[in-house]
Amino acid sequence: MHIQIEYYLILSAFMFIVGVVGVLTRRNAIVVFMSIELMLNSANLTMVAFSSYLGNAVGQLFVFFVMAVAAAEAAVGLAIIIALFRNKLTINIDELNILKW
Amino acid sequence: MFNNIQEFYNMLPMIIIGAGILVSIVIEMYSRKSEELIAWFSVFIFIAAAIYSLLTVNSTSIILQGMLATGGNVNILYFIFNFGAAIVTLLSLDYIKKYGTYYGEYYILLQSSVLGMMFMAGAKDLFMIFLGLELMSICFYALAGINRKRLNANEASLKYFLLGAFATGFVVYGIALIFGTAQTTSIDLIVAKFQELSGNLLFIAGILLFVIGFSFKIAAFPFHMWVPDVYQGSATTIAGLFSTGGKAAAFSALIVTVGAIFSSTIGNLFEPYLIVISVFSMLIGSIVAIAQEDIKRMLAYSSISHAGYMIIGFAAGNSEGLAGIIFYLAAYTFMNLGAFGIIALIEGKDETNLSIKSYAGLSHRNPLLAALLSVFMFSLAGIPPFAGFFGKYYIFIAAIKAELTWLAILGVVSSAISVYFYLRIVVLMYFKDAEFEISLEKSNTGLFAVIVSALLVIALGVAPGSVINLISSFF
Amino acid sequence: MNIYDAIFYLFAVVTGLSAFFVVTTRNIVYAAFFLLFTFFGVAGIYVLLGADFIAIVQLIIYVGGILILLLFGVMLTNKITSVQIKTGTLQIVPAAVGVGLFAGFLIAVLTYTEWKTVDTALPLTTTEFLGVMLLQEYLVVFELLGILLLIALIGAASIARR
Repeated sequence: MHIQIEYYLILSAFMFIVGVVGVLTRRNAIVVFMSIELMLNSANLTMVAFSSYLGNAVGQLFVFFVMAVAAAEAAVGLAIIIALFRNKLTINIDELNILKW
Repeated sequence: MFNNIQEFYNMLPMIIIGAGILVSIVIEMYSRKSEELIAWFSVFIFIAAAIYSLLTVNSTSIILQGMLATGGNVNILYFIFNFGAAIVTLLSLDYIKKYGTYYGEYYILLQSSVLGMMFMAGAKDLFMIFLGLELMSICFYALAGINRKRLNANEASLKYFLLGAFATGFVVYGIALIFGTAQTTSIDLIVAKFQELSGNLLFIAGILLFVIGFSFKIAAFPFHMWVPDVYQGSATTIAGLFSTGGKAAAFSALIVTVGAIFSSTIGNLFEPYLIVISVFSMLIGSIVAIAQEDIKRMLAYSSISHAGYMIIGFAAGNSEGLAGIIFYLAAYTFMNLGAFGIIALIEGKDETNLSIKSYAGLSHRNPLLAALLSVFMFSLAGIPPFAGFFGKYYIFIAAIKAELTWLAILGVVSSAISVYFYLRIVVLMYFKDAEFEISLEKSNTGLFAVIVSALLVIALGVAPGSVINLISSFF
Repeated sequence: MNIYDAIFYLFAVVTGLSAFFVVTTRNIVYAAFFLLFTFFGVAGIYVLLGADFIAIVQLIIYVGGILILLLFGVMLTNKITSVQIKTGTLQIVPAAVGVGLFAGFLIAVLTYTEWKTVDTALPLTTTEFLGVMLLQEYLVVFELLGILLLIALIGAASIARR
């Protein structure tokens, strides 16, 4: 393999940081959730890069678990977002008035 | 899966809860009175698992190909989770009728969150910690918003979910970096390699990200802003579970992972970071709590400051500190659950009677509740002879042994500040007259649960020595 | 530069750029589509890294599951008739400062670390190994995952029903 492992790690660090920026700056709950998915994807990419360069496939097993957990989280999270939208007709997190953000 | 029958016996507490979840789902499907039936069934399995783990406390072993530890302090933590959950269940029996979530799913989610906590406490592998953490958290997100018709609950659960998933991102990235540098996910192997890894900046960064993610779950300084809102917005019994079971589980996961690293021989690399988050949590919690008018918000800020005291135990990094954390968790679980239980008993329909003023003159109307709440408030403030005092005492002694005397003094100052807002409630109950009448609904099971937690708080305060000796004997 | 490098740079650019646009675009539906490209790019990189099973799972779970769920969320939480699928931003300055420090630290650490790579490459297909691991050493984790998915189903259903 020609590409050094740093390239993969820097790409994933970039994705992680973009995800963190998204969580901190966006208003819409769904976009915030998408940014969290970016963070999880970047962690998965790190794990697969390590597992490939270290010759240790256990890392890929962890990625499998993270994906399944992300799917479960997405289901519960979307249910919560929809329940909020029914009562409030908005999902912008800065409009949560009763409990200050 | 099991190598021999002994492994099965050692894992029995988890099997009881896991089988209980499946049985509860079947009951929920076929029974008309499932809400009541599942509640009593949950109490039964929680008590059974709690008593069984206490009885087998001496059978320490590592089972399932090195995935899970049993016996010793792990079993003590199992006892805390299960007994706490039994108290929450007894409180919920009447509370959820008045809160408007009279569903069987409530108890199923409660049982599963306890299962997640148990896997976190016993984990010997980072995979296990992650899965246990997520099982607990997903149940908590759903429990926070279980009353989907109530806007407060919707907002609380959304906030809890988004910040919780954000923290999960940090934990996962931290685990990825740890795996990449240590080339294994087994905690024992990582600790054994720690000497050579401690020079690797990436490994340190991984541990730091892991701890930052967990400081969300223990409600400590950088990620504490969700705590008051989520406690205020969700059901009182559930808030009690978040602040006790959830915090205890996250602390136990930190004890099994970083606790082992923090107390390793080459000195405590993370001490400065831990001291910073501990100091900020203690002071922010204690000072902001003074200004609160809502009793659940006040207890939320007090929960932040209690997390700060417990982190002192990590900063000390010796075995006394870790034993002190476990004792503190036991004391905190029962005194805080008792306090939330009394709030749940006094709370009226539609989340009324939650301001501090509604406690004025309680001693005339209901002397028993007033006396019990005073016990919990004295214990939370750390006044002897209750359990809370000895929790703080052991932690501060450990800090002094680790030459962190100034941190212990800061802890004492912070608890002195906190005495003000705890005792304010006692003064209101005994020396002020009620401004308005509140009607109390009777709840025998709830009262029973509160009395049991008061007895435990007093027992831990009267005989702390035997408990702390038992805990330290396993380090 | 051989063809392998070229493919890596292609996927890296697709992934990085679309991740950037997910966060910066003001239209939620566009954000979801950029997320699709990110997931595809990551799956391509997984193939380059020899993780064939994970690449397929990435497509099935992320693209086929989570993204569709997110799109449903977008549809259900916006009044389509009043075309207001825009979204704003908040707290830019503190976010920029904190994230800048964090990014500098992370990238510095990544570039200065000496990497020990092992020559024992992974076998060409990892699926068999993963299956054996899942049902032997990590069986208890796998079963815990089963409970987690069941509970997520119950929790989601009990919150989202009317």
